[in-house]
Amino acid sequence: MRLEARQISVRFGALAALASVSLDVQSGERRALIGPNGAGKTTLFNVIAGELRPASGSVLLDGRDVTSLPTWRRARMSVGRTFQRSALFPRLSVSENLELAVRRGALGGRRRAVPDRLAAAGLSAVAERPAVSLGHGEQRALEIELALACEPRLLLLDEPMAGLSGAERQAALARLRDLPRSVTLVIVEHDIDAVFAIAERITVLDHGVRIADGTPAEVRADPRVQEVYLGRS
Amino acid sequence: MNGLVFAGLVFLLAAGLSVIFGVMDVLNLAHGSFYMLGAYAAFAVVSRTGSFWLALLLGPLTVGLIGAVMELVLFRRLYQRGHLAQVLLSFGFTLVFVDLVRSWFGPRTYGIAPPPGLGGAFHVAGANFTKYDVFILGVSLLVGAALLVGWRLLKVGAVLRAGVSDKEMVGLLGIDLGLVFTLTFAFGAALAGLGGVVAAPFVAIHPAMDDNVLILALVVVVLGGLGSIEGALAGSLLIGLAYSFGTFYLQEFSIAIVFALMAAVLVLRPRGLFGIRT
Amino acid sequence: MPAVLLAVLISLPFWTPSRYWVSVAIQALILAVFAMSLDLLLGFGGMPSFGHAAFYGMGAYACGKLFPQLTGGGLLAFLAAGMAAGVIAALPIGALAVRARGIYFLMLTLAFAQMVWGLAFQWTSFTGGTEGMSGIPQAVPDWLQEQGQNVWPALRTAGPFYVVALTVAVLAFAGLTAITRSPFGRALEGIRENEGRMRALGYPTYRYRLAAFVIAAAFAGLAGATTALYNGYANPSQLYWHTSGLVLIAVIVGGTRSLLGAVLGAFFVTIVQLVISSYTEHWQLLLGAVFIAVVLFLPGGLISLGRLGWLRR
Repeated sequence: MRLEARQISVRFGALAALASVSLDVQSGERRALIGPNGAGKTTLFNVIAGELRPASGSVLLDGRDVTSLPTWRRARMSVGRTFQRSALFPRLSVSENLELAVRRGALGGRRRAVPDRLAAAGLSAVAERPAVSLGHGEQRALEIELALACEPRLLLLDEPMAGLSGAERQAALARLRDLPRSVTLVIVEHDIDAVFAIAERITVLDHGVRIADGTPAEVRADPRVQEVYLGRS
Repeated sequence: MNGLVFAGLVFLLAAGLSVIFGVMDVLNLAHGSFYMLGAYAAFAVVSRTGSFWLALLLGPLTVGLIGAVMELVLFRRLYQRGHLAQVLLSFGFTLVFVDLVRSWFGPRTYGIAPPPGLGGAFHVAGANFTKYDVFILGVSLLVGAALLVGWRLLKVGAVLRAGVSDKEMVGLLGIDLGLVFTLTFAFGAALAGLGGVVAAPFVAIHPAMDDNVLILALVVVVLGGLGSIEGALAGSLLIGLAYSFGTFYLQEFSIAIVFALMAAVLVLRPRGLFGIRT
Repeated sequence: MPAVLLAVLISLPFWTPSRYWVSVAIQALILAVFAMSLDLLLGFGGMPSFGHAAFYGMGAYACGKLFPQLTGGGLLAFLAAGMAAGVIAALPIGALAVRARGIYFLMLTLAFAQMVWGLAFQWTSFTGGTEGMSGIPQAVPDWLQEQGQNVWPALRTAGPFYVVALTVAVLAFAGLTAITRSPFGRALEGIRENEGRMRALGYPTYRYRLAAFVIAAAFAGLAGATTALYNGYANPSQLYWHTSGLVLIAVIVGGTRSLLGAVLGAFFVTIVQLVISSYTEHWQLLLGAVFIAVVLFLPGGLISLGRLGWLRR
């Protein structure tokens, strides 16, 4: 699925969270969105997913303007996302969590897909435990699996690696690398190694403004990026 | 009763409810009970000592103390569990207080006389006022002014307002939020108790008197904006007006209109008609 | 456990010492239906309504207002009218109320319910005012009235309405159980747990919440119709916020997120209200104290005690 965000602006009171930011992601592309804290990455995700109406600008999916569609409609158009802080269903079991995801907002069947999903996420052993009782790594795995279970064609990942141990990180990375090309991937991540391992193009935001956009090599060489982002960290 | 006087009385209740909500995020459904306890305290003191003025001192103190104990012993346990548990807890107390009052004083209806010197009536601009009406207005205006000034100027107000907007920040500043909450709850309870004492000379004191008053105060606080003193003041005036207007012109629908107004505000302007952005 | 409870309830007319206990059981069963309907909203949907009496009362008033027309249709016509009244009231109220969350939802439902109460209380020409409406027939079907007594001799003293109340309660339990276990029920729990995630998964959460609100109102209307038939009247107290509070107590004390808990709570509240009150005046103190204790120390309600016992065995 091709994603075009055109000149998105979002204001929170006096603060310009996003100032005319554009993002054009080709179908099947792996794109990373990086920038320091407060750059507006999650805000942009919220605009793309439909949680936030931009003050101006438009969002297009496969050429169709979805700016005024609610979140759930975009989700049904195969937009999946994960959240920076795990957004699970705490008191429901892991398999109930996934059951809600594989139904994708409908009431119909497809429950049979749940065991496969559990196995793919390595969560079969804890399937009947409430999500709240999982360890952090397992919660992150479930967080990603909830999005994947919707079989998205556009997947927005908000810091999927945050807080993971080395081994968990490798597992998550492998899971993302294995995604078919039918999935377009946009990933926000602070782990630069992971970003360079996955991304084909990188977009850099700072203070709500897009300061660079290009291949990893181009972005790495960009003096503004070095000054604003890489230099600081 | 005169609509303006009615507004003054309702304000005393609404202000306490609003302060408790504003600082602690607790919707205190036992607020009507505090008012009832204040009125019974007034009756108890006046029937023993004959002094209304002593009741005016002891009533709010007693009710405030009860509020402090409730907060310290019970409400405190529920801060981790969210607001609904606290609302439910306060609702449980409405049942308990009604029965306690009935077991101490019986199901009878009591009344007390206005204090000597505040008994008479007079005319102003075609309206009938008793001296006691003026007293009520005076008390509520005094309380309103003190609250407004305190809320805005004093350090207490600053801490409280910080409590409203950012609880973690207050904690970081090293202020004992637990103490602030206890005092706030006690203060709100005492205001309701004051309302009960002040109302005692002209209402029937009986175990179901908490009921209407609670709902009215809720309406006022919602109209004015939860946690806003100015809002409570304006909301009380509006309800006072609606009260005198409704009883004369729209007898069949006056109650429904008041609650329709409350619902409309909650739907359209959850911060209240007079809600002030923090 | 439901089977044991059902066996006790079915056999009740055979071993109960007097008609009085059957009347207690009838009122408990009606409150149980009402409480289960609130539990769908509060326990499963996470929507704390403090105005659920509006729909209960609407169910009762529908029977009171329409009984000349409904009598020909018999029992089912009355019960259907009660449910329909709940639905009709819940559509506009719910459309506005479910936009709000938490305390605001609580206050909004309270405001709407008090508005309905105000109309019933003051609009005397249409609603009968403080007196309400009386003379509603029990509408027990003839075959039950006549044949039931031969088959089930105990009913001669117990009153055939017990069969009606028990049947309504069992059907409501079955219906609500099916709803809570359906994909819809699971989605409702998902919304309670994390509404934002549900939207991101493609669920139109507003519609789900509204649907839950309307279904809960339908069952509350059913309970209201049943109480109107049993008592023969509809009056403003059925709409008053005390009634909303009482059913809330039943659900919390019994245990939210469990229909059986709601039933248990309804029996507890009814027994305190009707039976304990004949021994002591202070039944409200007892009820309030138990309620406070449950809120503080037993968030899962009485039903969670049973679960603990089950595990230990």
